[in-house]
Amino acid sequence: MNQQLIEQIVKEVMSSMGTVSEETSKTDSMTVKVDAQKDYPLGEKRPELIKTPTNKDLDQITLQGVIDGSVTSEDVRIAPETLELQAQVAESMRRKPLAQNFRRAAELIAVPDERILEIYNALRPYRSTKEELLAIAEELEGKFNAKMNAKLVREAADVYEKRDRLKKD
Amino acid sequence: MKSKRFQVLSERPVNQDGFVAEWPEVGLVAMSGPNDPKPSIRIERGIVVELDGKKREEFDFIDTFIADYAINLEKAEEAMSIDSNEFARMLVDINVPREKIIPLSTAMTPAKLCDVVKDMNVVELMMALQKMRARKTPSNQCHVTNLKDNPVQIAADAAEAALRGFDEQETTVGIVRYAPFNALGLLVGAQTGRGGILTQCSVEEATELEMGMRGLTCYAETVSVYGTEPVFVDGDDTPFSKAFLASAYASRGLKMRFTSGTGSEVQMGYAEGKSMLYLEARCIFVTKGAGSQGLQNGSISCIGVPGGVPSGIRAVLAENLFTTMMDMEVASGNDQTFSHSDIRRTARTLMQMLPGTDFIFSGYSATPNYDNMFAGSNFDAEDFDDYNVLQRDLKVDGGLRPVSEDEVVAIRNKAARAIQVVFEGLGLPAITDQEVEAATYAHGSNDMPDRNVVEDLRAADDMMKRGITGIDIVKALSKGGFDDVAQSVLNMLKQRVSGDYLHTSAIIDKDWKIVSAVNDLNDYQGPGTGYRMSDARWEEIKAIPRAIRPEDVN
Amino acid sequence: MTINEKLIREVIEEVLKDFNMEGKTEAIPVTQTARQAVIPSSSKGLEIIESGSAAIGTRKDEVVIAVAAAFGVHQTKTIVGLPHTEVLREIIAGIEEEGISARLIRVYHTSDVGFVAHQAAKFSGSGIGIGIQSKGTTVIHQKDLPPLSNLELFPQAPLLDPETYRSIGKNAAKYAKGESPNPVPTKNDQMARPKYQAIAALLHIKETEHVDRSKKPTALQVKFN
Repeated sequence: MNQQLIEQIVKEVMSSMGTVSEETSKTDSMTVKVDAQKDYPLGEKRPELIKTPTNKDLDQITLQGVIDGSVTSEDVRIAPETLELQAQVAESMRRKPLAQNFRRAAELIAVPDERILEIYNALRPYRSTKEELLAIAEELEGKFNAKMNAKLVREAADVYEKRDRLKKD
Repeated sequence: MKSKRFQVLSERPVNQDGFVAEWPEVGLVAMSGPNDPKPSIRIERGIVVELDGKKREEFDFIDTFIADYAINLEKAEEAMSIDSNEFARMLVDINVPREKIIPLSTAMTPAKLCDVVKDMNVVELMMALQKMRARKTPSNQCHVTNLKDNPVQIAADAAEAALRGFDEQETTVGIVRYAPFNALGLLVGAQTGRGGILTQCSVEEATELEMGMRGLTCYAETVSVYGTEPVFVDGDDTPFSKAFLASAYASRGLKMRFTSGTGSEVQMGYAEGKSMLYLEARCIFVTKGAGSQGLQNGSISCIGVPGGVPSGIRAVLAENLFTTMMDMEVASGNDQTFSHSDIRRTARTLMQMLPGTDFIFSGYSATPNYDNMFAGSNFDAEDFDDYNVLQRDLKVDGGLRPVSEDEVVAIRNKAARAIQVVFEGLGLPAITDQEVEAATYAHGSNDMPDRNVVEDLRAADDMMKRGITGIDIVKALSKGGFDDVAQSVLNMLKQRVSGDYLHTSAIIDKDWKIVSAVNDLNDYQGPGTGYRMSDARWEEIKAIPRAIRPEDVN
Repeated sequence: MTINEKLIREVIEEVLKDFNMEGKTEAIPVTQTARQAVIPSSSKGLEIIESGSAAIGTRKDEVVIAVAAAFGVHQTKTIVGLPHTEVLREIIAGIEEEGISARLIRVYHTSDVGFVAHQAAKFSGSGIGIGIQSKGTTVIHQKDLPPLSNLELFPQAPLLDPETYRSIGKNAAKYAKGESPNPVPTKNDQMARPKYQAIAALLHIKETEHVDRSKKPTALQVKFN
């Protein structure tokens, strides 16, 4: 029996199922649960649940605020808690991959714009060695606590290796 | 002697179109190709070990991604055991609601979907599409571009397009480095026309993401996926990089959909001998698995390829249907020149216009086609009245409305003045009053004065380097006396705080209400159900300015 | 679902047994064929001599032109019948008019024009390259840009005439000199697609048949007879 192959498939399957991290992020999140039928759109029906990452309420984002400088581009971003709520809405519509995307996204909020662009480019074909991709996964997990994304990157590293899509030269 | 009839026929527009015979060995076949795999799935305790005749160790990166992410495995065995013809009948049966179909169709494989539609004719495909479309209310999207990448004209055309009813607008560039200005012109123009319009700028993926993060655009669409691994690689991506990109957009609170379409693989030379529809089905599954809320498909920029082979336009309709069967938003093509023949291009569009889709066109050209930098759309600004009459003849809601010259001139002028103050406020090369005047009355870029391109490109680059964001645009608009437009741009930025428009098929109506496949889910079940236009909407469609009213005649 | 690693491992082991995978390793196909030093060109008046691996340039005053796999050999004219001889002659003339030298390579590992052009740019001492497909589609590229971005793109091959190719050469040379030229005026014929796209697909398939994923770019010498 080819042990290496088994290890690889086990790892792939485990990471693709994302079961571990999904449960982690669920227990991490607030106790609030929302439902598509009752609560959506959240901005209209449950505005009290929405905060900016800078801890402002939606109705504090005003034109006057922009003009006097109290509202900046940092205030028009989404918070991880909000994406978790939207993931719940997607789940109650039985759209699991969409919910999973929202949860991966929640993890990426902390990653700076430039780094997001760099990681995206590193995931393109022939851009990275396996070690480089694994280092990115480490960084996502260690520095940003982005477990689901780290799994995705590790899985990509394995698949790219198998399919010969890693950096050449 | 030559036949005079054949002479006349040879000069007909349709005979300018390129047609090719099928060549199935290289994938030049629309659907049901001889090398397409037979549907199959084998799941062993939660893991897909065989997919459409391929074993797990033979999987390429697309198969791996589809097997691990895209299929609802809980129902897969049940769904795959349903006879394909029986499932096709369920699709057209008004007594089987969408909510009964989705749990099964999302548990099938790409080859199974192809097997289901193989015996459906276009009327049956349209009936299915009418029921399976995710959002109950149909809508429309336009292209706003021009040959000179003139940002003033973009703003004016965007404002007019908003007035005419488009809920989404897309621009692209002739010269890549103009992208920030085009995005800016479109945003300001569209919000001037009607608050709540979603705008985007189609460019290379990383650049598109950056403009979205900055607040220059409201959503993204050019996230392309492909049905074979070599073409995916030539597209400079993988399913994994695209899945990461999908999450990157959502992490910034930005709506996003993927793009694919029949013909791209054969166009790019690596179809692996499979039919266009089968490869497109794989794209749709990758899109689903990556967690995208929706997909732009319907061949898109490759329409000349399925358009050139037998049953190609039927395959294009089938691919739109697949997207809805996967419970995703569909922006259904019709966005590229397809034929020299008015008869052919109208017939092609009726496939989506009659059943209605989330966006019937994923780019109706809101400019004359000579200005369309997506290389032309199937319908353009010169077809506006034809389209309005089609809606009126058939009592079909195609998303547009008749407008008067006075209101169009007024809104174009306002948008041109708004972008003028934004350029001033952001320290960009001045927009002259002469340009504002020209944009107000222009039909296309032939009516616009030239700008200093080199200076514009330098300024566009500098604008990105300076880190200009949507908030700076709001300030510039307000300072220039356009508080209403400033408020609308700010409201668009606020959408990314609440994230409600990240959901399937979301658009924003004129009252800033989110309309999506969550709170406006399609519930079609035959005559009198599903989307029915309101009396007010019908009055609007009826009222084409040229209709002679009885009271006006003596 | 309650799936743990142990269970998955068991399943996989079983499955692999079923597939009789024991001891098998993945075979990586190696394509290695003998290469001719000189490929006689069938394009009239054009002789293309292939002379080993292409080198990365060091001269700041050069523009590299990369042609796709079938160019000038298996295909000899663009989609509208413009001979490849003419295409090269005009582009090279355009470059040389600006006092810059032109160097030719052939890219084998991809037929995608964006990647072909990006490869040209990466081999170019100035960082500026031009990529051309056999059907005529052309891109001016710069090495620091993402592969699918570009300085100037001419996607509509049916509209490219000798004059445009000369302008493309001139502009590439100007970028190499650090100038910001006015982009070559974009042509747009919305009816090119319905007329040519299906045929373009055929031509591109035929070009792609000559792609060799494992072969590095080669240096080309071109003689106009």
